[in-house]
Amino acid sequence: MARYGMLINTKKCIGCYACRVACQRQNDLLPTQDFIRYEEHETGTYPNVAIETVPLQCMHCEDAPCAAVCPTGAAYIGADGIVGVDEGRCIGCKYCMAACPYQVRVHNEKTGTVDKCRFCTVSAETSGTKMCSCVEACLTGARIFGDLDDPASDISKEIAATNAQPIAGDLTKSKVFYVR
Amino acid sequence: MSFEPIWGAIIAWYLFLAGLGGGAFITSAFLGWRHPEAVSMRKVGHLIAPIAVIVGLVLLMFDAEGGLHNPLRFALLLTNFGSVMTWGVVFLGGFTVVALVVVVLDFLKKSVPVWLDIVGVVFAVCVGAYTGALLGVCKTFPLWNNALLPILFLVSAVSAGAASVLLVAVIRHADEFNRVGVLKKFHFCLPIIELVLVAALMFITSSNSVAGWNSVMSLLVGSYAPLFWIGLVLIGLVLPTALETWLLFFSPKEFEESRKAHWISFGSDAGVLVGGFLLRFLVVMAALPVTITVPML
Amino acid sequence: MSENAITRRSFLAGSAGAVALTAAAGYMGFDAWEQAHADDASGGGETKTVHTLCNACSSKCGYTAYVVNGRLTKLIGDTDHPYSKGKLCARGYGYSQIAYSEDRLTDPLKKNGQGKFEAISWDQAYSEIAEKVRAIIDADGPQALAMVQDPRPSGKYYTKRFMNALGSANVYTHGAACNLSKESGMTQAIGTGSYSSDVANSKMTMFIGRSYADAIRPSSVVALQKAHEKGAHIVLVDPRCNNSRVFADEWVPINPGTDLALVLAMSNVLVTHGRYDKEFVAANTVGFDEWAKELAEYPPEWAEGVTGIPADTIARLAMEFAEAAPAASIEPSWRGAFGCSYENSGETARAICLFNTLLGCWNQKGGALFTPSVSAGKLSDERFADPKKPEGKQVGAAEYPLALSSMGTNLAAAQAAEDGTVKGMFFYNSNMAAGYSNTAKLAELLGKLDLMVVVDVQMSETAMLADYVLPDTSYLERLELPEFIGGKVPAVALRDQVIDVVHPNTRPVDRIFSELAEACGVGEYFRFGVDELADAQLQTVGLSLDALKQTGTAHFPEKEFAYGTAPKFKTPTEKVQFTSEACEKAGLSAAPVWVEPAVMPMGDELRLIGGKQAIHSHTQTANIEDLMQITKDYDLTRVWINADVARRLGIEDGDEVEVSNTQHTGRVRAKVTQRMNPTALYMPSHYGCSSPDQHTAYEVGLRQMDFVPFHLEPAYGGACTQEAVVTVKKVGA
Repeated sequence: MARYGMLINTKKCIGCYACRVACQRQNDLLPTQDFIRYEEHETGTYPNVAIETVPLQCMHCEDAPCAAVCPTGAAYIGADGIVGVDEGRCIGCKYCMAACPYQVRVHNEKTGTVDKCRFCTVSAETSGTKMCSCVEACLTGARIFGDLDDPASDISKEIAATNAQPIAGDLTKSKVFYVR
Repeated sequence: MSFEPIWGAIIAWYLFLAGLGGGAFITSAFLGWRHPEAVSMRKVGHLIAPIAVIVGLVLLMFDAEGGLHNPLRFALLLTNFGSVMTWGVVFLGGFTVVALVVVVLDFLKKSVPVWLDIVGVVFAVCVGAYTGALLGVCKTFPLWNNALLPILFLVSAVSAGAASVLLVAVIRHADEFNRVGVLKKFHFCLPIIELVLVAALMFITSSNSVAGWNSVMSLLVGSYAPLFWIGLVLIGLVLPTALETWLLFFSPKEFEESRKAHWISFGSDAGVLVGGFLLRFLVVMAALPVTITVPML
Repeated sequence: MSENAITRRSFLAGSAGAVALTAAAGYMGFDAWEQAHADDASGGGETKTVHTLCNACSSKCGYTAYVVNGRLTKLIGDTDHPYSKGKLCARGYGYSQIAYSEDRLTDPLKKNGQGKFEAISWDQAYSEIAEKVRAIIDADGPQALAMVQDPRPSGKYYTKRFMNALGSANVYTHGAACNLSKESGMTQAIGTGSYSSDVANSKMTMFIGRSYADAIRPSSVVALQKAHEKGAHIVLVDPRCNNSRVFADEWVPINPGTDLALVLAMSNVLVTHGRYDKEFVAANTVGFDEWAKELAEYPPEWAEGVTGIPADTIARLAMEFAEAAPAASIEPSWRGAFGCSYENSGETARAICLFNTLLGCWNQKGGALFTPSVSAGKLSDERFADPKKPEGKQVGAAEYPLALSSMGTNLAAAQAAEDGTVKGMFFYNSNMAAGYSNTAKLAELLGKLDLMVVVDVQMSETAMLADYVLPDTSYLERLELPEFIGGKVPAVALRDQVIDVVHPNTRPVDRIFSELAEACGVGEYFRFGVDELADAQLQTVGLSLDALKQTGTAHFPEKEFAYGTAPKFKTPTEKVQFTSEACEKAGLSAAPVWVEPAVMPMGDELRLIGGKQAIHSHTQTANIEDLMQITKDYDLTRVWINADVARRLGIEDGDEVEVSNTQHTGRVRAKVTQRMNPTALYMPSHYGCSSPDQHTAYEVGLRQMDFVPFHLEPAYGGACTQEAVVTVKKVGA
C-alpha cells in the first residue's frame, strides 16, 4: 500500500496562483473553493528584500484533526493515507474547518458541505488525470507527488536530498513536505 | 489573506442557548434543594431548559447547510465518538429528553423524582462544559485551545440560566422572587467568577502565541473592543455585580422587595443575558488562527 | 460557474444503479468513486480533445482542451508549443471560462436615442453600419475610418483586410498603450522591433521593468529558472520588487522613468574603460564615436542623482556585464518600463540595443538573439488576393514619424476625432476606453465620432461608448487562422474550435468582418471561409489544416537558429545605428541622450506606476470569477507604498487611502511594503471596471488610467502611461 505525499519547494515558487486555478478548473470547483491557499512573506528592509510564497493545502495528516473532530465520519483517512471527504456524509458543521491548523478546508456555498485537496483522487478517476493538477500545472516544478514509502520515488529522493520538512514540524504528522 | 471567522452569530446563539438551557435546569434543581417553596420559579426553569436547547439545536441545524439540504445526514452524527461534537449530541439529546420529561411531569402536576433531577443536572453540566470543550479542542485557535474555556462557559451557562429564571420571576412571580435569597446570592457570585476567568483567559491567551496575542488585542483594543468592554465587561459582568451588590448587601430590606428594586434586578439579569451571549459571540469571532508558516529566509 | 457544469453530483447521477443507491443512502466512499469511474468508462459521456491557443494574453499558448459531453472540462498545456511548453498560467486556466460567462454579449446591440442599448438583428446592424460607413467615405474619404485591435490570429487578418478593402490605411494595434515605443525605438537602432535574450544560457541578464513571474509566458519562466539554477547573474531593475525576485540575485530599485539614465551610465562605464566589443562595433555599427562623445556626459555619479542607484552599483553592474559578455544582455522587455510608459521610452529602448551592441552579444550563446520565423507564402487562389494598398498614410504617422506603421499610434487616431479627421472607428478585442490612456479624455474623443462599432465578447468600457456592439464568439468557439511563431525553432500553431457556439446569435470574428464587408460593398475580398484560408496558408509551408489540427503545433527544424551567425540589421545603413537619421529628423538627438520624464514627483508626490499581477491581463480578465476571487481573497487591488514613506504619511498596512491628482481621486487600501521605491506608488493595472454589465469586475479597485493625463510620447506616439504623479493620504486623517 502506497503512502502518498507531496513536496513543495518554496524556493521555486513564484506565487503565480497557477496551481490554485488549475486545481479549480480540473476539479470543477467553485471560484471560492480554493483548495490551495498562500502565505506570503517579505523579509529584510528596502532595498535588500527577499520574498517567499508558501502554498498550503490539505497536508493529508496521519494525525488528521479534521477526521478526529468530524462527528459524522465525512472526514476520514482513506486508502493510501489520503485524507478524504465523503460529501454524502457531510452536514456542513464546519468543525473540521475549525480544527484544521492549516486552514485549508473550504466551505462549498452551493452544497453547504466542506471540501479540500484530495490529491486529485477525484479528477484522476473522472477525467483520467494521472497526476495532481497542481503538480501538473506548476510552471517551475516546485511540486513533486509520490509514494513516501518507496525509497526510489522522486519525492523520497528529493526529501532526502533537501531535508524537506512538514510546514509545522510534527504537529499533525503531515505528508506534505516543504523545502524553504 | 485575511482570516474570515469560520463560525458566526448563529453558532454563538447556539452555544449561548444550549448553555442557558442547561443553566436554567440547574437553577430549577437548586431551587428544589434550597427553595422548595418556589414552585412556580422551578417550573419556569424547567420550561426554559428544553425550549432554549431546542431553539439552539434548530439554529445549529440551520447553520449546518450540508445537513439542512440532506436531513438524513444528521443521523450520522453519532458515528465518531472521538469527536466532541458527537458527545455534544449525546449530551444535548439526553438533556433534552430529561428536560421534556420533567416538563411533562410538571404539566401533569406530578413531582419530579430526585434521581431524575440529578440525571438532568449531570447532563446540564455536561452540556454547559461541552459548549466550551467544542471550541477548546481546536488547536488552531489559542483563544479556544485551553482548559479555561469549558469552565468559563459552564459558569456563564449557569449564570445565564439563573438570570433567565429570575428575569421571568420578576415579572410573573414577584412573591417567590423575593424569597429566593440563597439563589440570588449564588447567582451574584457567578459574574465575579466569570470576570476572574475572563481576565485569566485574556492573560494566558495573550502570552501563549502571536495569534493569541492578536486575538486578545482585537478584543481589548481592536475591532471588538467596544463590544468587549461595554457589552461584555460593563453590561454583562460589572453592572450586574454592582447592582446586585447594592441590592443584596447595602439597600434597605424593604427597598429590596419594592417594585423599583425588582426592575433594577430585571436590568441586572438582562445584563447577564446580554453578557452571556456576547461572551460566546466574542470568543467565536475574535479567535485568530495560529501562524503556520513563519518567514524562513 | 454555470449550472450546466459537469459536477461530481451530476456525474454520479449518471452512474450505475448500485452507485446511485449508495449515494442515495448518503454515503459515497473512495471505493465507490472508483466503481463509478469503471462504470463510466464502459459507456458514459463522450470525451474529445482539441488543440487550441489560449486567449488570456498575447502569448497565445497552445493547449489541449478536453471536452466531455460538449463542455470544456480540462486544459493541459501542449508540450510542443514553444511558449506553453506543457504548462499554462493561472490566467489561461481561468480565462477559459469566458465561454460560459454570464456576462457574455449575446446579440447585436444598437444604442438608442436615450443612450440605452437594444438588441437588433445582424442584418439591421450590418445594413445600418454599412450605410454610415458609406456616408463617411462619401463625405470625407476612407481615411476618416479607423480600426483599433489587439492582434489575434484571425482578428489581425480580417480587421486589416476589411479596412484596406474600404480604402483606409488606419489600422492600429493596441501598441501605443503596450510596446509601441519599445519596438519603434529598437527598430531605429537594430532594424527590428525586438530580439530575444538567451536568458537560460546567459551568464548575466538584466530585466528592466519586465517580470517573467508576473506577466507570465511559461517558457520564459522556465528559462529564467534555468538561468538562476545554472548560476547566471540575474538583475531586476524595477521600482517594485516583483515576483521574479525568487529567481534573481539582485533587485535594483530604480526611480521610475530613469531607466535611460542607468543604461547611458552603464554604457559610459564600458566605453570609458574600453570594456566593449571593439571589433564588433567597428565592423557592424555606425555613429559610435558620436554616441561615445554624448556618453561622456553620463558618468555613474551623474546617474546616481537621477536614478537613485548608487554610482558604485551602476559601475559594478556595467563591469559585471563586461565580464559576462557576450553571454549577457539587457532583456528586450515588452510593455514594462519602456514599452509606452514615459517621455523617454523609445529612447530607452534604443539605448538598450546600443548597450547590448557594446557587449557584442548579438546572436551569441547567452546573449541577444535574432531568431528566425516563418510566414505563409504567396497564395495562388485569386480569392485571397490583397485589396489595393490604401493611398493615404495612417493618421498620426506625420506627427509621430517613428511609430511603427505595423502598429500605429491609436491615440492619434482617437485624437483625430476631435477635429473630425476621423469620423468612424471600429474596435476588435480592444478595450481602449479603459486601458490605453486617460479614460475621461478618451470618452470625450470617442464621443465625437459619427460611428463607433465594437466587436467583443463582453460589455467593455469601450463597448459602452459604442453606437453598435457586435457579439463575438469566445476564442473557444471558433477556428482561427494559423499563428506563426518565431523562435530558435520557428513554429506554427492553431486555434481550433473547442466547443460549439454557446450563444446561438454570436458570430466569429472572421464571419463578422466578412459579412460587414459584404454589407459595405467590398464583399468580393471575403469570398472564402476561414478554414479555406487557413488551409491555403498552411499548404504554402508544406502543411495542411487537417494535419495541424492533429498536432496543434508544427515546427520548422530546417530553419533552426544557429549561434554565431552574423546578424542582419534591417536599418537603412544595414548596421547597428548608434546614430539615427530618422530620430534626428523627428526632433530627437541622433544618438540617444538623456531625456527627462514629462513629470517628476515633487514634495509629497509619488509617481503612479502600473504593472501586471500574474492572474490578470490588463482589464480583459477582471470579470473572470476564478481570477477575480483571487484578487478578493488576497486584497490584490491594494496600492503598494514604501514602508518609510507610509510611516511618514501615517499610513499603516491595510489602511484605506485616498489617491488623487489633477485627473482623478479614488479610495483603495494600501499595502505597506519594503518592496517599493520610495518615489513611486504601484497600482495594479487590472481594476476599476466601470461597466456594470461586468458583474464580477464592476467597481472593484481603482483604475490606473483614470489618473494618467492624456499625453503622447514625442516622435514615438506612446501613451506615456506612467507620466502621472499622485498624492496619497490616509482616509480620515
